[in-house]
Amino acid sequence: MEDLALHIPTDVIDGPTSLVTALIAAIAVAWCTVAARRGLDERLVPLAGLATAFIFAAQMLNFPIAAGVSGHLLGGALAAALLGPWLGALCVTVVIVIQALLFADGAVTALGLNVANMALIATFTAYGVIALALKVLPRTRWGLGAAVFAASIVSVVAASAGFVLQFWVGGEPVGQSFGAIAGAILGTHVLVGIGEGVITAGAVTAVAVARPDLVHALRGTPLAQPAPAVKEAS
Amino acid sequence: MKKLLIAGTIVTLVLAGFVSLFASASPDGLESVLLTGCDTSEGEITGGTCVLQSAGEHEIGGAFADYGMSFLDNEILGASLAGILGVLLTLGVATGLFWLLARGKKPAEDRA
Repeated sequence: MEDLALHIPTDVIDGPTSLVTALIAAIAVAWCTVAARRGLDERLVPLAGLATAFIFAAQMLNFPIAAGVSGHLLGGALAAALLGPWLGALCVTVVIVIQALLFADGAVTALGLNVANMALIATFTAYGVIALALKVLPRTRWGLGAAVFAASIVSVVAASAGFVLQFWVGGEPVGQSFGAIAGAILGTHVLVGIGEGVITAGAVTAVAVARPDLVHALRGTPLAQPAPAVKEAS
Repeated sequence: MKKLLIAGTIVTLVLAGFVSLFASASPDGLESVLLTGCDTSEGEITGGTCVLQSAGEHEIGGAFADYGMSFLDNEILGASLAGILGVLLTLGVATGLFWLLARGKKPAEDRA
């Protein structure tokens, strides 16, 4: 059985780049902690805990995206849609720290890099895209689904662009040029993003239909009904 | 709320403990690009030149490295239990941390 490794491993990005990124990520996570407390109340705690555990589980589910290549959920879009950017970024951070410390997934020295890309860049990008998309799209199940789908793709590509930047600064292209690596990383992650979009749109709309008040992106408003509630004969 | 949480927890445990066994074993988007240029056989680099050759061993490793349980002979059982353990641990750690963060904040009608 092949080892399941999902994140940036040891020694791919040099020490100085990892350290500087870790410092920036630590400041950003501290800032998220302060901001998350403002929107948090005891009612939300179990949902945030469950969303975090769900992201851990979903990251294990690699789906094929091309011959011999798989992708997996990063979770930023899911966390942003359900919990907002501050709390959402903290959820993904918890997942990445547990993976690095207990499951040998993602180097400890690369924690800052992995948190920056997947917890911070992905979550905040996703939140921005959802907020923008919901200004134009109807607040229906489909509108929300489309917004989350688009946010997933953009957020995953943005996270991979974070890696490309880190690799440009502190990595060493071996066996292929930097341009080829950058192109391949961004290209593959469009496909990963599509997979993430399908899963995330499904999960978020499922919660939105059952409990719209628990979807941060809807800001307390229920979904608009596109037509009178007629049970679909399936 | 309770129903949603229980259902969500069960779904999450099934995903990590069972569905994960059927997940694709191919390297993910990041790893596959970093492996480009190398020949691999069963997850090990056997030749060529690629970025991942310079990657070191994980600093900690540990009994649950790579989502398995190294002390169990049965790999499938180990992978399933590691997934379940990871979910329960993540659930516990995250809920605990968020509870600490939310301490003293009652649900308010006029949330800013």
